[in-house]
Amino acid sequence: MREKENKFSFESEISDEDIFEAMKNIPGYLDITPGDFKEVYQMAYRHAMSRIVHSVKAKDIMTTKVLSVKEDTPVEEIADLLAQNSISGVPVIEENGKVAGIISERDILSGIGVKNIKSIMGVISACLKNNGCLAISICGHKARDIMTSPAITVLEDTALSEIASIFTEKNINRVPVTDAEGHLLGIVSRADILRYLPVRDRP
Amino acid sequence: MVLKEYFEKMKGTTKSPPMVSLEEIIWSWIGAFFGIGMVAYLNYSRFEHTDLVMIVGSFGASAVLIYGAIKSPLAQPRNLIGGHIFSAIIGVTCYQYFNQHMWLASAIAVATSIAFMHVTKTLHPPGGATALIAVIGGEKIHALGYLYAIIPVGVGATIMLAIALLVNNISQKRKYPEFWI
Repeated sequence: MREKENKFSFESEISDEDIFEAMKNIPGYLDITPGDFKEVYQMAYRHAMSRIVHSVKAKDIMTTKVLSVKEDTPVEEIADLLAQNSISGVPVIEENGKVAGIISERDILSGIGVKNIKSIMGVISACLKNNGCLAISICGHKARDIMTSPAITVLEDTALSEIASIFTEKNINRVPVTDAEGHLLGIVSRADILRYLPVRDRP
Repeated sequence: MVLKEYFEKMKGTTKSPPMVSLEEIIWSWIGAFFGIGMVAYLNYSRFEHTDLVMIVGSFGASAVLIYGAIKSPLAQPRNLIGGHIFSAIIGVTCYQYFNQHMWLASAIAVATSIAFMHVTKTLHPPGGATALIAVIGGEKIHALGYLYAIIPVGVGATIMLAIALLVNNISQKRKYPEFWI
């Protein structure tokens, strides 16, 4: 897994030269070496990062205009919705607005009955062996038949750090945000976290 | 392997800070001229034929900091005044207790004043010189006893601080101090 290495690499990208140039722009004699400044900077950066991931809450980063489907929405409609909006998952809502479950691409694939699907090639391979499209088998199914339920959800005040570790531990890509009663308020995706932090993957 | 790392550290890891602007150099000169000028004038015009002195060598070192490196934590009022006065008291005490062994009095005076300045967050390098002068400064200094901590050290440092406040804040690009306490 690469996850562990995705530490905030921004901090190490500042060079002694950058600091030297910055020091030249500050009038007066600065009683610190570029090396010491870099050390202070890196520690301060880590400190700020940990402060942010602990103080930023789900409500600060969630998408509130969230698409959802009902328990009795047909699977073909859901597939269309995912395709039209270029999303890979959608929460399923009960009549009373509470989150009943969540449907992701993975749920649809396993609903088809394809085992160990890891990529589109897995689907193609299974289709070829089966002499046809497997998706026909779930035509007419409803959301409640294939959704993952209960869905993993977080509250508005769940910290960013906790959401990030839920993503990693449960190996999921999005998590619905609910109030204490379970009503859908928004959704946080991996992309929302990446947008929030000045984080870049190491090459 | 440990030995290699030990010597490796002696190579240094970073570069020296940039040179300051000409303006900074000129203001440093002006501050130091008036700061040292004031205590030196008092010393030679008022205290010349008395038992008192108003200037000690460590003021030259303080001038480097409070007129030449005014942003430095070492140059702030707390450090200037605290560092000088604490070190002066420690220096006088060391002379009085250990003057049978001048080398020991000197070493204890400087080492203890550094430690004490650290503890009180008043580290000011010239303080080490102030402590040392209390021991090796000769008859006139020894005769002052603990008065040394007030005149010349306390009063002299205060006068230099006043000049620093006046001169270091004239330029729009400079400000002093960074903090008081």
